Amino acid sequence: MKRIVVEKKILEKNDDIANKIRDLLDKNRIFGLNVMSSPGAGKTTLIERIVEYLKPQYKLAAIDGDLDTQRDAQRIAALGIEAIQINTSGTCHLDSSMLQKAINNISLDLDLLIVENVGNLVCPASFYLGTHKNAVLISTPEGDDKVKKYPTMFNVADVVLINKMDIVKFVNFDVEKVENEIKEINPNAIIFKISALNNDGLSGFLNWIESNIQLIKNS
Amino acid sequence: MHEGAIAQSVVEVLRDIKNQNQLLSITSATLKVGAISGVMIDALEFAFEAIKKEEDFIKDAKLNIINVSVKAKCNICDKIYEFDNTDDLVMMCPICQMPLSIISGKELEIIDVEGE
Repeated sequence: MKRIVVEKKILEKNDDIANKIRDLLDKNRIFGLNVMSSPGAGKTTLIERIVEYLKPQYKLAAIDGDLDTQRDAQRIAALGIEAIQINTSGTCHLDSSMLQKAINNISLDLDLLIVENVGNLVCPASFYLGTHKNAVLISTPEGDDKVKKYPTMFNVADVVLINKMDIVKFVNFDVEKVENEIKEINPNAIIFKISALNNDGLSGFLNWIESNIQLIKNS
Repeated sequence: MHEGAIAQSVVEVLRDIKNQNQLLSITSATLKVGAISGVMIDALEFAFEAIKKEEDFIKDAKLNIINVSVKAKCNICDKIYEFDNTDDLVMMCPICQMPLSIISGKELEIIDVEGE
């Protein structure tokens, strides 16, 4: 019997590939944004708004993760940018090797790469992808109890977008409570209250993306 | 349920350790799993039990899992706060009103292995 002290990260291989992705993004001066939320919170609609607003000035591409169908990538590609769909065939998150394969198939003459993760508030939070920032959406019809139920996700968020504010008065959602719980779990997260569908409240978030694009361009 | 993918990663790390140390089989492994690593220990154990039947070198392996609580430190007053329950997480120093830095709770590590 032999005892070996190892101290190895379980996700070391995922992290190694993610670090290579980060190097590739940095080398090409591309801002990588990972967008996460539960299914139906409005990730694709938000990304459509980002593309509409930033496409005139910046070069963008999107990589969309879903269990099945090409629907999300088709919606984004319809706006005239390169969009690649990753079908995870049952896997509930994107990992760095899936992302690396997709990145190998896009042109890296870009300012912004948007990664739309698989709709899920649990699993994607555990897999570092090499992207620079995490944007997490929570939508008002999901209910106001989600932040403390999914602390890992809200803890890794750089930005939290409270989406579907246009229907907040019809659903049981205490905005102040949610904001306070986000601040408790992650005091550094920036919070924006938006309606992606109606294009409301997005200017702060879009400015945040632009400032990150500029930071990486000038780094 | 991403614990299947995590369990598969555990098996891959154990396989590397077996090969690097010229072991024939692994009999136990000690893991550290943080309370906000996003991994549920019961689900990880369940997934590992399912996978180990497919892999000869770990067929008798036992996982010892250490659940690591969340600890966070205030960079101003150096006070360390420990949260036994993730429901109680408040990442803000009540004295200094400054965000805390996490010092534990995100671990997903294999710390030692026994084999022959």
